[in-house]
Parts: sequence; structure tokens; C-alpha cells
Amino acid sequence: MAKEGLLCSEEEAYDLLDQLEHILDHDPLIDEVGFIHPSHLLVLNKEADATLVSSDIQELDARMSSELSKCAAPKGKKAFFWNKDHKLGVSTAYLLPLYKAVKHKFMEALAIYKMHSGSSFMNENLPGNVAFSKLENEVMRHSRALLLLSSDFGTAWNARKAVISNKEDFSHSVELLVSALVLSFAPKSENAWSHRRWVIKRIASRCDTLEEILDKESKLVEKIAERFLWRQERILTTCVPPLQKSKMNYRAWNHRCWLISYMSSRQVLLELDTSRYWAALHVADSSCFHYRRKLMLQMLADASEQQDAVACSSQLRSVRKFWKDELDWNEMLIRRYIGREALWLHRRFLSVGWVKHFGANEQNPNGEGEVNNHVKVFMDYELSLLQDCLNVPESEFEDVQSQVIHAASYMLRLNWEICSSSGINLNQKRRISDLRELLNRLCPEKSILGGDIIYYASP
Amino acid sequence: MVELAAEKHVRYIITVEKVSYSIRKLTCCPDPLPQYLQKKDAFESVVMEHLRMNGAYWGLTTLDLLGKLHVVDQDEVISWVMECQHESGGFAGNIGHDPHILYTLSAVQVLALFDKLNMLDIEKSVLEGQISAFLVHDDLILIHRAEKNYALGLRSTLTLYSDIASLQNEDGSFSGDMWGEVDTRFSYIAICCLSLLHQLDKIDVEKAVNYIVRCKNLDGGFGATPGGESHAGQIFCCVGALAITGSLHHVDKDLLGWWLCERQVKSGGLNGRPEKLPDVCYSWWVLSSLIMIDRVHWIDREKLIKFILDCQDLEQGGISDRPDDAVDVFHTYFGVAGLSLLEYPGVKAIDPAYALPVDVVNRILLPHD
Repeated sequence: MAKEGLLCSEEEAYDLLDQLEHILDHDPLIDEVGFIHPSHLLVLNKEADATLVSSDIQELDARMSSELSKCAAPKGKKAFFWNKDHKLGVSTAYLLPLYKAVKHKFMEALAIYKMHSGSSFMNENLPGNVAFSKLENEVMRHSRALLLLSSDFGTAWNARKAVISNKEDFSHSVELLVSALVLSFAPKSENAWSHRRWVIKRIASRCDTLEEILDKESKLVEKIAERFLWRQERILTTCVPPLQKSKMNYRAWNHRCWLISYMSSRQVLLELDTSRYWAALHVADSSCFHYRRKLMLQMLADASEQQDAVACSSQLRSVRKFWKDELDWNEMLIRRYIGREALWLHRRFLSVGWVKHFGANEQNPNGEGEVNNHVKVFMDYELSLLQDCLNVPESEFEDVQSQVIHAASYMLRLNWEICSSSGINLNQKRRISDLRELLNRLCPEKSILGGDIIYYASP
Repeated sequence: MVELAAEKHVRYIITVEKVSYSIRKLTCCPDPLPQYLQKKDAFESVVMEHLRMNGAYWGLTTLDLLGKLHVVDQDEVISWVMECQHESGGFAGNIGHDPHILYTLSAVQVLALFDKLNMLDIEKSVLEGQISAFLVHDDLILIHRAEKNYALGLRSTLTLYSDIASLQNEDGSFSGDMWGEVDTRFSYIAICCLSLLHQLDKIDVEKAVNYIVRCKNLDGGFGATPGGESHAGQIFCCVGALAITGSLHHVDKDLLGWWLCERQVKSGGLNGRPEKLPDVCYSWWVLSSLIMIDRVHWIDREKLIKFILDCQDLEQGGISDRPDDAVDVFHTYFGVAGLSLLEYPGVKAIDPAYALPVDVVNRILLPHD
């Protein structure tokens, strides 16, 4: 049985690699990989055996197990891999020899491939044939296995791009699956995300609409953003602890923001609609709210760019309504989920944007006084929200304290961004200095917010 | 308060560098691996081999900040760095890998630490001198490498600058390599490298600056691309690039300063984005940005120093992301660099834009007589 730390000969390592690549070839729909302790893997495989006996076996599974048994496994096929329902488990026992074997194979295949492609390497003018040659196939097989063990091995991603570049009719959806497979265990892999964008750019240059792809990408980002990792071992430990790996994945959300540039106005609205549900379930995910902010700004830009004056003003009216709804929704979340920084930051954006874009359009804007009056009404409302948030009994609970801190700094921020610039005198000097005092007491490390910054940063 | 265990950190860095050096050698040789390398820890370090150039920069800069750069074998490191240079001119993360601008910066920074930027712009006589020096020590491997470097050196004169410049796109942005991914980090790297090599005129600086400005968000921060979320790491890159090109007037200093100082949490540590846990590495990214925009007095320095010092492994050396976590070279560097920015005694001053010791930057950029 596989024991951790046991030596594995080079030959055995190559056998293991054969098994792994065999599994990947025969189950192209594998969508999740995990790294599992040998003892856990044993249990999983025993369960799988029991199921095999008692239940109907799907054709694919049947083919899989017969194919697998043909493959000579050095220590029994069940000891290293587990494969069911398009999920793949890899034993942690021999990761290093396996990695060394696949890296060697890949580098060898790449060197031969480069030698043969010679000057035509990357020459896009060559007639692209559909099928991979044997050489290309080797590069694709080994790079895929290598990336499962080292997700940011850039040379392997690049080799795939080089091979695909010479194939006019390559099915890009296959390549998106490979990237998604790597992201299933390395959701922050920069290279896997970047490879995805490279593939999507190629698709975009070949077809008119990306609607279907955009929809799938959005779903993938949400899935990855909320994934609780089922693998037991971490591969990359550079700077991210396991708990954080699944939360607020910057690369995943960055990818979704990047997609906005490919969206039609209709899709922007659709995305705003669908991401709202997810955001309400993940109120601490500041990245998702940033995504909504970007969509709202895009919506505003789309409306303003309308040539037709009537259409423009009608669209701006609906943007205005949307903005107001978002403010109300955000207030509801703030009152329900106490002490969430992400919600208060979103409110900063909404409030400042509201006053800036729609403040002058309120009802019958006849002049400065009217505008200021509208802003004054708005600020009064925000002050009452603040009051509600401050009117909680003093508590040791962190979220209650956070709510007070975020509410106070929100108000100081509005005072700075809106009141100072619009020349409105809130006559709330007393209240502002109270807020500063409060912040100084609750979070002395943020003393600047309570003091100097206001003085120092006054426009 | 706990003090900086400088000597232990130096020993830690040297051990890690040695281990990864032996792994590097082992991966090229077919012998069975020693038992200890079969363990998971070893897998984790081997699997990071593609970014070893970054590791070299983190480790060596830490040693220099602690005044101990002389303990490493300079020729050994430089030979290895030059072996990572690709035909195109750019550098790879390790020998045999593809080049990427992320590694080119680390390579240039490592050469700068050793005052060896002339390796990139090499004079024949210099290399001949180097080869004869090795001959004296009868070191055949180094002679071979020096000869190879000589060939490379002649080539790199022409190619490194043009390679970086060729990565600039029409809109002023920079790609990381020939495959076209765009990121403001790459803008910073291109500008930082070319500035250190006195070659900023090889790119369209105005366009590069305009692209970075397009990545500014309403919260005052910067993202990876236009519309990308603000992130302390990206902010460092954008502010650093603007500082080097003398374009800081594009930054709303109060707005950005507000965002940056809100990154300080109760423990005194800094996070990189809202709602995230504090992490030692942001001591560098947030702090250096605050210094460049002249707002560093907006955070509580004493609490931050305490947070960094609490992340030390006082027995084995090294610094971790948060107290009681496992240490690594990456966080050891950012912890020491953060303390340097906080003017902690015994640590050399670091330049907030170039991420190199101030004396190294001065040696390169100040006019010689």
C-alpha cells in the first residue's frame, strides 16, 4: 500500500503518469480534480467498488474500468487515482516523482515539437489541419497532466497556445474545459485565467456573438468564487491560506470584469439582474459589488451615448430608477447584515454617484438652490440611517462595533465628497466632531479618519 | 516588543536558497532522489521552480537590506541568472522555461543588487576579464558559463530593451509576453526595468501613463485593467510607474490615501482589499504607495511594526503572512522591506518605487562624475 515518503522508482513514476493520462484521455469530461491522502483514497475506492457491484454501471464507467485494468499498475490501480462521476482524485503519496516524470516527458516533447516546427513555429499562414499530429498530441497530453500538478507552469500553457495557434478548426470549448479543470483545484491560478482569456479572444475574433460564452463564464466565476475546496492538500502555498482561497478570488472576478467589454447593453442588464441574487448571499464579497459597480457605470455610459435625445432621456430615467433601487436594496442589506465593510463601501459609491449623476435631475431642477435642496434631503435621509446604526447598545461583539465604525466613516466620507464639494453646509459640525471622537475611541489605528484626514484633505 | 531576529532571517534565507539550489541540480540529474525530497514540503518547493527568479530576488534583496548580501556566491547567482535569458532578450523564471516580463524584472533587479547590470550591455573586455578570473580558480563550469554569457551578453545588448519595448501595445498598455495578456503590473515592470537601464526613451511613456490612468477607479485605487477592482498590489504598480515617470499628478492623493489607510485593521496589520485578512506582504504594497503619495503618516506605524514582528519565526527564522503561520521567502522579504520603509533600526533603506535598496538605486540613477 502506498505510504507517504515511500520511494518510487523512475519506472513506476512513468507508469503512474501513463495511468493518469489514460484516465484523462478516456474521461474528457472530468471537471474537478482533488489531491487526496492515500488512506482517504483507499476508502473512496472501496466505496466505489461496492457501488460497482450493486448498481447499474454506465457504459462509460464500464469502458473506463476495463480500460484501466489493462493498464499495468505498479501497486494496484486503486492506490493512486480515484475517478467517478467525472471527478478525479489523485493520491498525495507520489506527487513529486509524478511531477518529475511528467515534466521530463513534457519538456522532451516540447523540444522535439519545436525542432520539427522550426521556422514554421507560430506561423499562422500555414494551412491549419484539423487533427493533431503525433508530436502535437504528445505536447497536449503531457502539458495537460503537468498543469494538473503545477497550475502556473507558464511554459506548458504557452506550448498549448502554440499548438492551437496552428489549428484553424480547433474546438476551443475543449481548451476552456482544460482551463476550468485546473481552476477546480487552483482557483487563483493566474495562468489558467489568462489562458482562458486568450482562448476567448480567439473565439471572439471568429464569431459575432459571445452571448453563450459570456453566460457560461459568469456561471463559472460564481461557482469558483464560492467553492469550498474539497481537496485535502494544498499545492501552492505562496501567500494564500486555505480559507481565503475560496473567498473573494481577485483573479476570478477580474476575469468577469474583463468580460464586460464584450457585453451588449442587454447583457449588462441581464448580468446586473442575475448577479444580484449571488451578491445578497455573499454580502462580504466586495469583489462582487465591485463587479456590480462596473456594470452600473457601463449601463450609465450606454445610456449617455444614445444619439437619439428621446431614447437617451428615457434610458437615463431607467438607469436612475435602477440606481434608486440599488440604494434601497443596499440599505436593506446594511440593516440586515450588521458590520459588513463591503456593503458600506458599495453605499459610498451609490450615494456619491446618485448625487453626481441624478442630483440635478430631481423633479424640476430650476437652479442651484433646488439642486442643493435635493442633496440636502438626500443627506438628511443618510443621517437618519446613520443615527439608526449608531443607536445600538454598546457591545463587545465585533460586528456591532464594525457597523458603528463603518457607518461613522461613511458619513465622514459623504461629508467630504458631497457636502464640501457642493458647498452645502450641513450645519452638522457638532455631529461631525462627535463622529470623529467616536472613531478615535473605537479604532485608534484609524485616527486619521477621525481627525487629520478631514482637515488635511478638505478640498 | 519583540525585536527583529535579523540573523535568524539571514540564516533562513540562505538555507532556503541552498535547498532550492540543490533541488535545481537534482532535477537535472537522473539519480534517485534522497528521502527528504519525497516529502510534501519538497514537492511544494520543486513545483515552484518556474518562478525561482522571483524567489532569488526576494531572498537576495532581503539579505542586502540586512547587510548580508556578501554571504552568497555572486558569480554562481549571476551565471544562473544569465542562463535564464531567452533568445528574445527576456528572462525566464528558471533555466529551460519560457520568458515572461515578471521574471525579467527580477533578473534585472538581481543584477542591479550585484552592480552587474553591465552583464546586459557587456563589453568584450569585461567578460574576458571574468573568464581569466575563473581560469585562475580553475573552475571549468564557470568558464563555460562565462563563455556562454559572453555570447548572450552581446545578444542581450540589442535584444533586452527592444524585447521590453516590443511588448507595448497600441493603447499604451504592456503584455507580459508574446501571448498578449495585459496587466498594469506589466506596465510597471517595463517602466521600472527600462528606467534602471536608462532606456525609457525606447517606449512611448506618455501612452503608457495614459493607460495606467485609465485603470483608476472611483475609489482612488487602481486595477489590473480598466474596470478592474482596486488592489493594493496593483496600486503599488501603478503608483510606482507614475512615480518613476514623474506623473504622480494623475493620482488623487487624498482619495487614494484614504483607501490605503483604511487597509489597516485592528491588529495593526494591513490587508490588500476591503473585507480581507491582514497579510505581511501588504506592509510593502500599501506602505510604499502611501510613501510615494506622501500620506504615510495616515497609518499607525507602531502598530504595524508590532504586527510584522509578531509574524516572525523566532526559532527557525523567516516571516509569515500572519502570526503563527508557516514562514516563506516571499513574506520574509515583504516583512523586512516593510520594516525598512518604517525606518526600523538595522535595516537598510529601500526605495519605494524601484523596490531595491536606496544605495543600489542611487548607484544606478545618480549621475557619475
